[in-house]
Amino acid sequence: MAHHNQQSQALLDVSGLKIHFFTGAGVVQAIDGVEFGLESGETLGLVGESGSGKTISSLALLKLVPRPGKILGGHIRFENDDLIDKSEAEMIRIRGKRIAMIFQNPAFSLNPIYTIGQQLGEIMMWHEKINRGEANDRVTEMLNLVGITDPASRLKQFPHELSGGMKQRVCIARALLCKPLLVLADEPTTNLDVTIQAQILELLSDLKTRFNMAMILVTHDLGVVANMADRITVMYAGRICETATAERIFNNPQHPYTRALLSTIPRVDKSYTNIQSKRLTVVPGRIPNLIHPPTGCRFHPRCVEANGECSRTQPELKTVEEGHVVSCLKR
Amino acid sequence: MGILRFIIRRLIFMVFLILGVTIMIFFMINAIGDPIDILMAERPGITQEVIDNIKSYYHLDRSLTEQYTLWLWNVVQLDFGTSIIYNQPVGSMLVNWGWETVKIQVPSILISLLLAILFASIASTRQYTKTDFGVMGTALLGRSMPGFFTGILLILIFSYWLGIFPSYGAYSTRSPLMGSLLLDSLWHMTLPVMMLAYFNTATLTLLIRSSMVDVLRQDFIIAARASGLPNRRVVYGHALKNAIIPALTYLAILFGLMLGTAPVTETVFTWPGLGFLYITAIQQLDYPVIMGITLIITLMLVLANLFTDIAYVFIDPRIRLE
Amino acid sequence: MTHQEEKNIPISKGSETVRKTRGPGMWRLAWQRFKRNKTGVFGLVLVLIVLFFAMVGPWISPYEPNDQSAMLEFRSKSPPTWKNLLGTDRMGYDVASRVIYGARTALFVGLGSMVVAAVFGILMGGLSGFTGGMADELLMRFTEFFLVIPVFVVILVMVRIFGIVVVGTVLERIPHLNLIAIIVILGVFGWPPIARIARAEFLRLKEMEFVEAARCLGAGTLNIIFRHILPNALPSLVVIIALGVGQSILLEAMISFLGFGDPKSVSWGQLLYFNYEHLKISPWASIAPGMAIFITVLGFNLLADGMTDAFNPRLKE
Repeated sequence: MAHHNQQSQALLDVSGLKIHFFTGAGVVQAIDGVEFGLESGETLGLVGESGSGKTISSLALLKLVPRPGKILGGHIRFENDDLIDKSEAEMIRIRGKRIAMIFQNPAFSLNPIYTIGQQLGEIMMWHEKINRGEANDRVTEMLNLVGITDPASRLKQFPHELSGGMKQRVCIARALLCKPLLVLADEPTTNLDVTIQAQILELLSDLKTRFNMAMILVTHDLGVVANMADRITVMYAGRICETATAERIFNNPQHPYTRALLSTIPRVDKSYTNIQSKRLTVVPGRIPNLIHPPTGCRFHPRCVEANGECSRTQPELKTVEEGHVVSCLKR
Repeated sequence: MGILRFIIRRLIFMVFLILGVTIMIFFMINAIGDPIDILMAERPGITQEVIDNIKSYYHLDRSLTEQYTLWLWNVVQLDFGTSIIYNQPVGSMLVNWGWETVKIQVPSILISLLLAILFASIASTRQYTKTDFGVMGTALLGRSMPGFFTGILLILIFSYWLGIFPSYGAYSTRSPLMGSLLLDSLWHMTLPVMMLAYFNTATLTLLIRSSMVDVLRQDFIIAARASGLPNRRVVYGHALKNAIIPALTYLAILFGLMLGTAPVTETVFTWPGLGFLYITAIQQLDYPVIMGITLIITLMLVLANLFTDIAYVFIDPRIRLE
Repeated sequence: MTHQEEKNIPISKGSETVRKTRGPGMWRLAWQRFKRNKTGVFGLVLVLIVLFFAMVGPWISPYEPNDQSAMLEFRSKSPPTWKNLLGTDRMGYDVASRVIYGARTALFVGLGSMVVAAVFGILMGGLSGFTGGMADELLMRFTEFFLVIPVFVVILVMVRIFGIVVVGTVLERIPHLNLIAIIVILGVFGWPPIARIARAEFLRLKEMEFVEAARCLGAGTLNIIFRHILPNALPSLVVIIALGVGQSILLEAMISFLGFGDPKSVSWGQLLYFNYEHLKISPWASIAPGMAIFITVLGFNLLADGMTDAFNPRLKE
């Protein structure tokens, strides 16, 4: 596989990741052999519908898969260590310090009963072993960097006193406090006003360059990753469909699912005035029940190109061009 | 500044509440007719001195409204009248008997809160394990266990079979335990406190556990973990404080329940508290005592409510008073 | 109520279908979820056991509730034997028989007081939530008042006063007068929680689309309340009423235990009152009724829990 050749330089390399949820109704095969990776300073867009397993995959990188989920197999190589082998005591030194995460809903991802200064300072003090005063200085500095005006007085404010966009800036500041090597941004703009979305994306992009961080941008919206990501991985029902550079994903998508996703993006340039496409297209069908996932290719029930073979054989990831892998029997 | 106005508003509500309850009881008692007549009918042996006492305190020749106003005026001057049965000033009785009630109720609620926090955090962090089911099961039973039944079982086990705790009273009638009044008092308190604590712990544990389970699922908890904070800090520093907030409001309700059902608790253990006194007062129609205890219980209850309201404001910054 | 509903159908078909989709299906779904809830089913079983004893009590009870023959044979305070399965108490009554007959009284008290409370509560809360404004504000303050005061203490005075007032009046000839008085008083003080739920539900439901739809189709206010809002508010109300039944039974037991109960009624609280002083000599006479009260209260509490989970599946996972 293409990116395996560059393994020596890779910051992160996930392979064969398998996560099941053991629920009362049955075993949900949420993640089944997912692989992706990225190099230092790179941005990877992880794209899929809700339920495709992208959020679970990113939580798995921190080994924070919520119960009743369990990581059953695979490797998460980060800086040439396998995180799967790390103990909880080792993981708490990695979380927030070397891999940090930004969450989907800023309204719920800050503790309502602590001030901004208290909760950000706590993380700073814990990781950097510094005192409250120094921590406050560093937090103020970081709040300033994420574009919060009058950061010193914000330290004493509670989350509910800030607007949604402000809260997300605070969350970004929290993630960047210890200047991590990798930031996982899980739908960082989905719950924000449209006007603020662009600002936040721009901020993320700036900070990424500034700190030379790698970033995994998890989203259901190909539009969001279009300008941000170097490479894009498309996921469906707990498996990888396709990984390629952003440019190739948009210009030469190979997987039928990627193509379907692309057709859902509203375009001003093409036929938007056309009566038939006044309704935004959606990919027909639904994400399958992963307790009894479809046999063969998991996308086959919704796939326009599927034939009998697709329901029997599980497709392997194969390289169609340097750096472009796709898992489809038809390619 | 908001907090002061808030407290004043609550205080005004409190005053109305106390007036409402005492008026209700006052008119109920007087609805049965002339208290003297009934007293004479029910207690033939009553002395002239007692009758004169009631007459002068209640101004029975005036109208009901005037009588109530006069009672209120006396109470404001801390004069609660004289007990018909005990022939003692009601004010000092309220203090003495009230102390005994507070003595078992306050410790039991504090113990319950501590135990509930402990049990709830243990259970909620081990959700769906045997420990969790054990804690939950015991709590579910405890919540439905009538106080007097708990008391009966405690007495049977600890007093009659094991013989390690006394089954009645607040003090030993002869010599105190190991010659120490304090130890003796604690020794007598054990079973009543246990009885109250079982129900309160059960109720609070269920409440805190369910809000802990909710809180532990919240994004900010996952975010705290994702920031690398160790489990203990996440659970006790971030989750627990949020989870306790609903329990705090409930604390006042539990306290009210305890005060309200003090007659039962104190009857089970023949405990010389307000509840016990209240029963005798109602049976004997000891009006000054009934009025006094109603007033005190309502006042304590209302103060507990005010206290939790204020605590709530300090703990949860989202509460804005105006 | 359902029978009356079926008779007057002034509403057009459109809203009928709207209502149906949330009507019986809702209950069937809830029942399916309830069946899977072990503690809920356990609660239901306990309640059914109590109901069973209340219904067939006279046929399975070994003795008449007022049979004191054991006393004549000097067998009062006898420990459990084959003749008296749960022993006899200090008055020579057979404890088992009294406990069995007590189930009837307990359910009578619990259901009776909740009928009173539900009528008051739904009327007050519903009115409050439906009309809103000044009336709502006033009713809510009134409800809050009842929620904060030490109700039990007030009830005790009321029960005692009532006992005095009726002496020498015609009322005295009514059988079980004191018990009925206790039921009414418990009902009168039991309405606030129901009113609160009813208000919240009415507030929520009156804004719902299907209610709007019915209104647009020209349904009258009463019609909307009885055919559209009330049926949908029922799940929450049923839960709070089930809890209330257990609480009323407990309260009656406490009132009786303190000696303010109806001396002529065969109730668990009375049994405790008569025998508590002799706890050391005949513990069975206190344990049996205590256990019966516990089981009943537990049954109703667990049943209410189970129903809450069944009606609001979102709350659990």
